[in-house]
Amino acid sequence: MAGTASPQSDLQRERRAGLARFLAVASQASAVEITGLAPLKGGAIQENWATDAHFTGGALDGDQRLVLRTAAPTGVPASLDRLQEFAVLKAACAAGVTVPEPLFAGDDPAIFGKPFFIMRCVDGIAAAHRITRDPALESALPAIAERLGRELARIHTIRPPRADLAFLPAYEKVGPAQQIAGFRAYLDRHPVPRPVLEWGIRWLETHIPPPAEPVLCHHDFRTGNYTLDGVNLTGILDWEFAGWGDPHEDIGWFCCKGWRFARLDQEAGGISGRAPFYRGYESEAGRPIDPQRVFFWEVLASARWAIIALQQSDRYMIGGERNLDLALTGRRATECELEILMLLDPGGVPSDA
Amino acid sequence: MRDLPTGSSLLALARDLLLRDLLPLLPEEARLDARLVANSMAIAERESIAGGKLVDDILRELQVLYDKDPGSEAQLLRRFARDLRVGAFEGSSRDRGAHTILWRLTIAKLRLANPRFLTANGFS
Repeated sequence: MAGTASPQSDLQRERRAGLARFLAVASQASAVEITGLAPLKGGAIQENWATDAHFTGGALDGDQRLVLRTAAPTGVPASLDRLQEFAVLKAACAAGVTVPEPLFAGDDPAIFGKPFFIMRCVDGIAAAHRITRDPALESALPAIAERLGRELARIHTIRPPRADLAFLPAYEKVGPAQQIAGFRAYLDRHPVPRPVLEWGIRWLETHIPPPAEPVLCHHDFRTGNYTLDGVNLTGILDWEFAGWGDPHEDIGWFCCKGWRFARLDQEAGGISGRAPFYRGYESEAGRPIDPQRVFFWEVLASARWAIIALQQSDRYMIGGERNLDLALTGRRATECELEILMLLDPGGVPSDA
Repeated sequence: MRDLPTGSSLLALARDLLLRDLLPLLPEEARLDARLVANSMAIAERESIAGGKLVDDILRELQVLYDKDPGSEAQLLRRFARDLRVGAFEGSSRDRGAHTILWRLTIAKLRLANPRFLTANGFS
């Protein structure tokens, strides 16, 4: 078969050529050569491609390390499309949040087969199990948690109405009552009854806090979605779930047990106690965190994570995506259910359970 | 009558071979997938050993809660979930019994899917 190009390499060649043309126009370069294009691991819902390019002239003259982000073959509902995510990333960047600099977005399917955007590549690791386990990082983690609190408060300075984010549904359409309705609609379609989730969702329904002044919530602000280069925070990643919400929603998500990885005892994202994270947030936001609201949103976070876990395994069970990681994620829903019981029924464990 | 060794013991042996002998030979980028394979095998092994015990135990508890309803496990579990959604046990004498089933169901499922998570949360 020597000398016969495979359909795969033809596709790669077409993509490289299309991308080079797109980047040249977007950056006003006289020429662009794609020197590397490879899928990155991670990104359970989106595909990220390491994209190395040499620009001749224009705004990015020289060698550049970029990341192209586009949709995976199957996804979960509720995520933004790539052009919307690009707009959110630009808004966050302008608000002073540490993010990979968003550069260009394209929706011509002739270039990469589907809509995409390009951002700068940031140095560092996002791997949550390494971050929460690495002894070399441990002493720096409280300061990192404080910094993350400040970053989150900066995200929350973005408030409606915003013409550039007009595609985001109004808070009244995505508040806790609507989320609860969404959970139940999903469970009604799910083949296996989930009594613990139903019980936890009932608690949520009867404990909805009064409406909040909505802010831009990241909605997946957690360990695993930021990069550390050594002890330096280099980027908040994965903005696909962003939307208007109660600021305590992001705080509850960051602190919920599902995102503590190797350190369940470290309640702020598995990297520190809550105090440094809260301190950073409150000092930047200039307003206090309400622990009762956080508790509500933390219970909701466990329910939401359970539903997402089930949806991820649906991508294998229903969507046919041959991905063992996704298939196994469905089993994690029961971990969330244990957390719901521990939060809402403390001391209620039957002695012979 | 099935032949020996049992499916569960073959899974245990295969998993041991994967983790001890094969994993070190794999390139770094393939090791996470190999661990996922090993984890899947461990779940299958535990479920194979447990057989239908979880289903039988929960069915018995639900039958007590629902006063000897003769429904199947799936029917009773669905009824239970539906009742919990509308708070059917709240303030009633069956509330504690319902909670006990929730705990037992969750702990039993985690014993199969992720016993280490149970231990990390203080459950033996």
